[in-house]
Amino acid sequence: MPSWSSFQPFIPIGLAAGGAYALSGVGMVVLYRATGVLNLAFGAIGAMGALIAWSMINTWHVPGGVAYVACILFGGVLTLVYGMIFGRVLAARDPLVKAAATLGLALLLLGVMNRLWPAQVTRTLTLPSDNGGFAVGQANVDWTQVIAVGFGIAMTAGTALFLRVTKLGTAMRALADDREITATLGVPVRRVEAAAWFGSGLLAGAAGLLLADLDTLASDALTFLVIFTVSAALIARLRSLVVTFIAAIVIGLVDNLITPINSITNFRDMTPFVLAIVALLFFAGRRQYSFARGGIR
Amino acid sequence: MPVGGRVSGLRARLGLGRRDALDGVVIVAGVIFAVAALPSLLSPYWVVNATIAFIYALVALGLGVLAGRVGLISLGQGAVLALGGWVGARLLFATSLPYPIAIIVAGLITMVMGTLIGLPALRVSGLYLALVTLMLAGAINVVLTDTNFPNGGKGFLGYNDISTGTPPSIRRPSIAASDPAFLRYTVIVVLVMFVLVLLHIRGKPGRAWAAIRQSEPAALAAGVNVTVYKMWAFALASFVTGVAGALLGSSSHVLYNYQFPTSQSIILFAVALMGGIYTMWGAVVAAFLFQIVPSLFTVWGISNDWATILFGVGALQVLTTAPAGIAHQFPRDMAKLGRLLFGLARRVAPAGGRAP
Amino acid sequence: MIEINDLTVRFGGVIPLDAMTVTFESGTCGLIGPNGAGKTTFFNVLSGFVRPSAGSVRAFGDNLLTMPHFRRARWGLRRTFQTEQAIEELSVFENVAMIHEHSRRSRASRRSDVLGAIEFVGLGVGPETKVGTLAVRERRLVEVARAVVGKPRLVLLDEPAAGLPDAETEHLGEVIRRIPGEIDALVILVDHDMDLVSACCGVTAVLDFGVVIAAGPTADVLRDPNVMRAYLGTEETV
Repeated sequence: MPSWSSFQPFIPIGLAAGGAYALSGVGMVVLYRATGVLNLAFGAIGAMGALIAWSMINTWHVPGGVAYVACILFGGVLTLVYGMIFGRVLAARDPLVKAAATLGLALLLLGVMNRLWPAQVTRTLTLPSDNGGFAVGQANVDWTQVIAVGFGIAMTAGTALFLRVTKLGTAMRALADDREITATLGVPVRRVEAAAWFGSGLLAGAAGLLLADLDTLASDALTFLVIFTVSAALIARLRSLVVTFIAAIVIGLVDNLITPINSITNFRDMTPFVLAIVALLFFAGRRQYSFARGGIR
Repeated sequence: MPVGGRVSGLRARLGLGRRDALDGVVIVAGVIFAVAALPSLLSPYWVVNATIAFIYALVALGLGVLAGRVGLISLGQGAVLALGGWVGARLLFATSLPYPIAIIVAGLITMVMGTLIGLPALRVSGLYLALVTLMLAGAINVVLTDTNFPNGGKGFLGYNDISTGTPPSIRRPSIAASDPAFLRYTVIVVLVMFVLVLLHIRGKPGRAWAAIRQSEPAALAAGVNVTVYKMWAFALASFVTGVAGALLGSSSHVLYNYQFPTSQSIILFAVALMGGIYTMWGAVVAAFLFQIVPSLFTVWGISNDWATILFGVGALQVLTTAPAGIAHQFPRDMAKLGRLLFGLARRVAPAGGRAP
Repeated sequence: MIEINDLTVRFGGVIPLDAMTVTFESGTCGLIGPNGAGKTTFFNVLSGFVRPSAGSVRAFGDNLLTMPHFRRARWGLRRTFQTEQAIEELSVFENVAMIHEHSRRSRASRRSDVLGAIEFVGLGVGPETKVGTLAVRERRLVEVARAVVGKPRLVLLDEPAAGLPDAETEHLGEVIRRIPGEIDALVILVDHDMDLVSACCGVTAVLDFGVVIAAGPTADVLRDPNVMRAYLGTEETV
């Protein structure tokens, strides 16, 4: 078992990754509650946004700040467009179909990304906050990692506050509770849903940008990082934002702290899957036969 | 009882209808063609691809039984295929079992593992089951990356870490060593598997599965042991997929982990959806999409990414508009087209003054 | 004979069945009550979907509650649901045969038993017809056929006439009346159609808020002022 000092460098890495997963996770939970869609394409959407930012910086020499905003906005817009077309068409179907559709979107985006940004080239995205940081014990912390965690905290708290305090947020909570009744109350359901799609997309874009810096800018890898986010969301039973955040941090830490443990480090790639399985089997709720509204279905 | 009555009685007992007779004729003709003529008509490149396509038809069949008949979405069948390949290769290297026995044993062992993968179905359903199976597939994939596929080496894993020279080939049946001969052999095995599945679907398990898919409480009230039948579905799908894996090993000579990426499980699901999960023809269409389309693209110089895009779009299309898939939609569209043409023909040349 | 004693079901703070006690001897027995009285919950307890927190059910000498749900069909329990559960993609024959093959009856008698059940309910369509193509009336008859095949002991009919016009309800009533005699099973009929209940059921029990407020010969029960009050909901002075 490695010493505490060999673990230390991996702690900020794990925390930062967790922060990014939390960002995406908050978006995923809010979207699920408002629309019933578990968006498995968020990884791909974030990846594409990051690649667009990369092209803007490296090919078209656009200033970094503009590119980063573009990445985040792209996430929001693409998710919104998907939501307005397919979200609407599939609105009455069950969650499995809606999620499967987002898998279709993920495949589509993967293909497009590999076409436009061939995988043979190694690309890196370096945020300016990578330069500079400080040391804590044996660990070096750079500002990007601080931003990731800080942003994660801020977005979790901010979104929770938003849902509680603002009119739009309250409408989203009402929608999550019961769509039909909310519509009869005169709440502009379409507009509220659009806000949920757009907002969660923005968060996915931001997460993609951070993970592209912290982890890698490879389309396949970034797309599948969504599994970490899904695990965190499932542990929170797709309900509590705070639990999503905590779960995401824990997941990020566990995943990275395995690296120095030589006996199992080969199986490190299994972490996201194992965590998701645990989440699904133990946290995601019991099965029940519902007898609501007279009849068994 | 008159002969007609006796024949229709037999047909009723076997659960066959009139359209099945037509299907049967088409299938028999197709199989005869595939076995007798096809291998000699195709170039070596296409012989190999056709073999792999038939193999993946089995995988799609398993997926279709689970999703279309029972309503259990398993996104882990790609991993079951890899497991089948692993077990098959191990048996074929380590033992001198006759080939048919070896692949059946491989299928049975894979069946046990695949049923374990299906255990979560007893606890979760729908979306969560799909996610669990996908995650299990991912985990298995990681393990296989570490253990590698058997290549005739020693030890439990049967793997020799040799980096030079050609690795030994996974053996083939002695009567079907060449590629065209192996294609014929594969077609026969695939046919046998399809018949096995058909017997299930038309029999007691199929009815129980239909009841479970419609409503589990109603199935329970009808006396169906839902737990047993769910596991039976996973067992059947895994057996068939395991046999496919063993065949795949012989077809490819050597197996590598990169042949079974996790994304493949998703693509398999997408093509199964597109082909149609409610019919057995759908599995055939799915296999064609999965294997032949990308191969065609390669021959035509189109990048494989376009295939991925096609599958993504196809999945979206099927989910939104034609949930029963191409195999279901195509005959209907053809029938509609036929009626349209017939109507036009009658309008052009009216017969006996009858209004169209 | 089926004896229900002190049957209680609790869902959190809601108590759908509150010490329900009643005995049904034989023949066709009605179970009526206003919406939400607990009738479907009672059926769900019998089917095994809902676990009671107290009480017992003894049917023909057997303790029903200790049996796993899918075994109860083998024992001889049959049930229809408020929304038809006949499987659309299978034929009429297959739907009924499915019940038969999970019952105690032998394979040899299957064809005759199934065709017999289909004939018993007077379903006029060929047995190979796919249920998905049938109208509501015919589907309900398929449901009843499924409920009488394979020598059942206890048949639960949950609003079999819901949504049917008078003529079809009458036909259904005739079929239900014949079940105890020809099939030799005890029938419990839940329905809101009082004419149907009067025509079929010799005895009737009335549930209100999970409690049996009346039980006895159907005609007497339907005239009972307590029963009328339960349905019409007048103020109760305690």
